[in-house]
Amino acid sequence: MRIILLFIIAMGLIWVGVLESGASSVNDFKHHASGKTLDKQSSIRRFLSVGFVGDLVVKKIISDGRRTIILKGNENFLAPGEVSTDHVDN
Amino acid sequence: MCKLLRVGSASTVWKMLLMFLFSGVTFGATGLGAMLLMILLSSTHLGKDASAKHGISVSESSRLGGVAIAIVVIIYIAGLSAISPYTPGLMRNDDFLYLWGAVFFCCSLGFAEDIKPDFLTPTLRLMAKFAVFGALFWLAPTFIPKSLGISVIDFLLSVPFLGWALVTVFAVGFINALNMADGANGLVPGIALASFAVFFAEYGRPMDGALLFACSIFFFFNVISGWYFLGDTGSYGLGAVLLGYGLLGVVDGHFSAGFMAALFCYPCTDFLVSITRRWRAGRSPFSADNGHLHNRLHQFIKVRVKSGVMANSLTGLVVSGSTSGVVLCAYLADVLPSDSELWYLLFAVQVLLYLTTLRYLTSIQPKTQYADPA
Repeated sequence: MRIILLFIIAMGLIWVGVLESGASSVNDFKHHASGKTLDKQSSIRRFLSVGFVGDLVVKKIISDGRRTIILKGNENFLAPGEVSTDHVDN
Repeated sequence: MCKLLRVGSASTVWKMLLMFLFSGVTFGATGLGAMLLMILLSSTHLGKDASAKHGISVSESSRLGGVAIAIVVIIYIAGLSAISPYTPGLMRNDDFLYLWGAVFFCCSLGFAEDIKPDFLTPTLRLMAKFAVFGALFWLAPTFIPKSLGISVIDFLLSVPFLGWALVTVFAVGFINALNMADGANGLVPGIALASFAVFFAEYGRPMDGALLFACSIFFFFNVISGWYFLGDTGSYGLGAVLLGYGLLGVVDGHFSAGFMAALFCYPCTDFLVSITRRWRAGRSPFSADNGHLHNRLHQFIKVRVKSGVMANSLTGLVVSGSTSGVVLCAYLADVLPSDSELWYLLFAVQVLLYLTTLRYLTSIQPKTQYADPA
């Protein structure tokens, strides 16, 4: 019984980092699209979730993901106030 | 709880505190979770190895280190891919699909061996590896490098069937080399850690990040406690990933073959020297012995250090640090471009250092019937 409880705790702690990494990736895209910068509070939360080496890893994964997706043409970042031509009615 | 987490003596408590401290500082809550998972897996009766049965270990340890790394990597990648649509997945193209198929097969092969030793005969395992890598390079010929900077080898690689055969033999040899080198705490995990750090710094792929994370936690655990081995699951699986990444890195021109030779110098050199030594002694090239450099170095350190685990871990750290660790530092410090052929020079220095150290240690240590030619 105790081993199951400890196993659940271990999985839960790993998921803290997974959720933080995933949420950071999604936020990065939203912030780039709206021209905002990430706030300090989310950086502290990320540090607690994934540590100082993990923070560097997550940042690199996010920047690589952004670059790869842009290269594939699946997603475009817009400058603040810019309107995507896909959404302009002719 | 205490029994499950092995908490007993004061030294065990200190080891646990150190392991949780390192994993917590470097990887936060996720690192603590991964460390807890590894401790729980190491305390199960499944895949237990008796003392001194594996490499230079002095304590009863688990061989499920590779399984623990695989679990952590799968949770991280599956979770990240499910949560964020902006994270590139594993299957960037067909080549990666075939590579991960080969990695999965190698892990399964190792897992069968970890759970039930000698479940498959050595010949059958060897044939299975040839089949897997033969199929991989047949289906994905992009893994076969066109130029290694050595004209004779480049010519042989340019002949389609010969190139395929040579790379297949090299791949099976590489996997066996990594498995053979897995004999000291932190040796193969250290080499894998340095390699994934290089690949992650170069490409930033999520899978490389997850492997870097899992290998770092395993490295802390392995070096501090000595309760865990990579096992065949780990050495075959990590070997297959490192092989695939290394070949792709050379093919796409990001890394020179010299860079890869320097990065994986220890397992490759030790493998070649070991099979030559056994062949000269009239034994099977794949029979186990204690004449590896890490065995010799461990004998040297053991008489100077009181703790058996510390002697074991120091051996692994010295070997992995002075080979792959040096390459990682040189890469991060940007001493040479990663595609420079000058990395062959570092490789030559490493081989020379290996041979000189082995010769010196052999000369000061007594001959053993298993290690030296008659």
